[in-house]
Amino acid sequence: MIRLLAAVSAAALLALLRLTSRAEVVLWVGLLGLALAAVAIAAGWRWAATAAAVVFLVGYTVALRLESRAVEPGAALGLGLALLLLLGAVDLARRARGATVHGPVVGATLVRWIALGAGSFLAATLAMELAAVVAGTLPAVASPLLAAAGGLGSVLVLAALLRRAG
Amino acid sequence: MTGRLTPLALSILAVAAWAVSLGVLAARPEPFLVALPGLLVLATLARRAPVPRCVVAHRISSDRLFEGETTTVTVTVSADAPVALVELLGPLPPGAQLRSGRHRAVMTLRAGDPVEWTYELRFPRRGVHDLGTIAVRMRDRLGLRTWEHRYVDSMAVRVYPRVVPLRSLPRPFHTQPSVGDYVSSALGEGIEPGDIRQFAPGDRIKHVNWRASLRLGRLHVTQRHLERNADVVLMLDTLAEVGAPPGTTLDESVRAAASLATAYLARKDRVGLITYGGVMSWVRPASGAAQYERLADGLLRADVVFTYVAKDLLRVPPRVLSPQALVIAITPLLDRRFAKAVLDLAARGFDLVVLVVSPVEVTRTALAGSATDDLACRLWALERRSELAELRRHGLPVLEWRPPEPLEAALVGARRRRVRLASAG
Repeated sequence: MIRLLAAVSAAALLALLRLTSRAEVVLWVGLLGLALAAVAIAAGWRWAATAAAVVFLVGYTVALRLESRAVEPGAALGLGLALLLLLGAVDLARRARGATVHGPVVGATLVRWIALGAGSFLAATLAMELAAVVAGTLPAVASPLLAAAGGLGSVLVLAALLRRAG
Repeated sequence: MTGRLTPLALSILAVAAWAVSLGVLAARPEPFLVALPGLLVLATLARRAPVPRCVVAHRISSDRLFEGETTTVTVTVSADAPVALVELLGPLPPGAQLRSGRHRAVMTLRAGDPVEWTYELRFPRRGVHDLGTIAVRMRDRLGLRTWEHRYVDSMAVRVYPRVVPLRSLPRPFHTQPSVGDYVSSALGEGIEPGDIRQFAPGDRIKHVNWRASLRLGRLHVTQRHLERNADVVLMLDTLAEVGAPPGTTLDESVRAAASLATAYLARKDRVGLITYGGVMSWVRPASGAAQYERLADGLLRADVVFTYVAKDLLRVPPRVLSPQALVIAITPLLDRRFAKAVLDLAARGFDLVVLVVSPVEVTRTALAGSATDDLACRLWALERRSELAELRRHGLPVLEWRPPEPLEAALVGARRRRVRLASAG
């Protein structure tokens, strides 16, 4: 059941890539991600799941560059959630390997991820609204630098949080 | 309890960092949105989560077993507050086999709702196995943090060697003063009729042989043979072993020793034990059910401890190794030091029987069974035959037991051989 969850999320990731772009290169990158995800699910290797997630992410970015469509927050959030679900399900499958599973472990996991999806959707809506307001006040030349600084800052803050928690 | 981050948290951070970097490089907002769920998940680490607590209790269906028997381990887990995920690693000592169920469990705990989980362990080999430790790992809701601790409750299962009933036992030459099953040549109180003599003052009326008295015209009484017990000392060779557990030569020797001890104790004999090896230990001869417990405990701990030192049997107190005792040396004869010790005992006039557990058969069972292995085993068997002949030339009664043939088959030869030796002497 847990592996099925991981497999479904990997298939959803490939489908999202295909919906974003029909280019052959995106398909090949998606298939590579799917292969890595299959290895991760079969062997319970976390590194393979992380690598698959990164490959899907790279494929998605390539698809966005190729298509140059308008921003689709729903698809991006869905991809983010599917990536998390893949990582979480592979991790859980690894822990449950060779073990007796008692109680609604998979059900509880799904409920948590659905709650996370709803929270993410709210946060994304807020972020997009805020970005639209801020974008009007910023000079166009400074925006890439600000985006890079913001991205780096958020990752560093999270890394610090992880270090403190660990 | 120790808390730490899970590898999942690091994976999510890595993927989020990639998404943010790709968003900057591609100058598109979507990768930032892709990173958003991951960033939200990681942001929960800013909150100091309370350490989850759960109560673990476990029990076993039986703490005393014979080899090959099973015990059921039941673990009960409960918590006052819900715990998203609990991983438990139950005890599975080396040498034990899972008969049913699994010794690992993953569960979600609700507040005040205990979860019970059972599995069955089979113990093919003797020993004292610790079943008291359970490793517990709890995770937070999103699986980012984990807390581990070990639940320890002293609990051990004692697995005793398998015992087979024996009827043909080597008969001791010397008996002891206590009452037993051996008919002594001395006359006194007993069941077996001996001689008839004329009645004397002090004789009990119930001993009067009325038939003889009527025929001879005077009162006669029937004398009876005394029934005595004997001291038997089992000497176990723990210098070396071959084979694969649970069928090594030492395992088979221990099973033979346990069977012999049970059979002699049933005959009211006093049975003692000497383990002769890297560590030398002994159990003083005594009789009764409690003595079996002592002997079994000694046999449970018997193990091969390598040593260069040849132990001297003079260290064994005479009350353990009395000159009147029948000594049964149980050995695979892999180490010459044991043969030397046995010859030394024989030279000191001990009543001795050597029960040789054939290492050839044990090794053959452990090997794959190729033609080369078979040839090597046959050559080894020839070599051992000459070694046993050498011991027999010294006048020692040597019995060869080739497991898995019944021990009884090897012991039947003891009666014939010892009778012949006695008549020759």
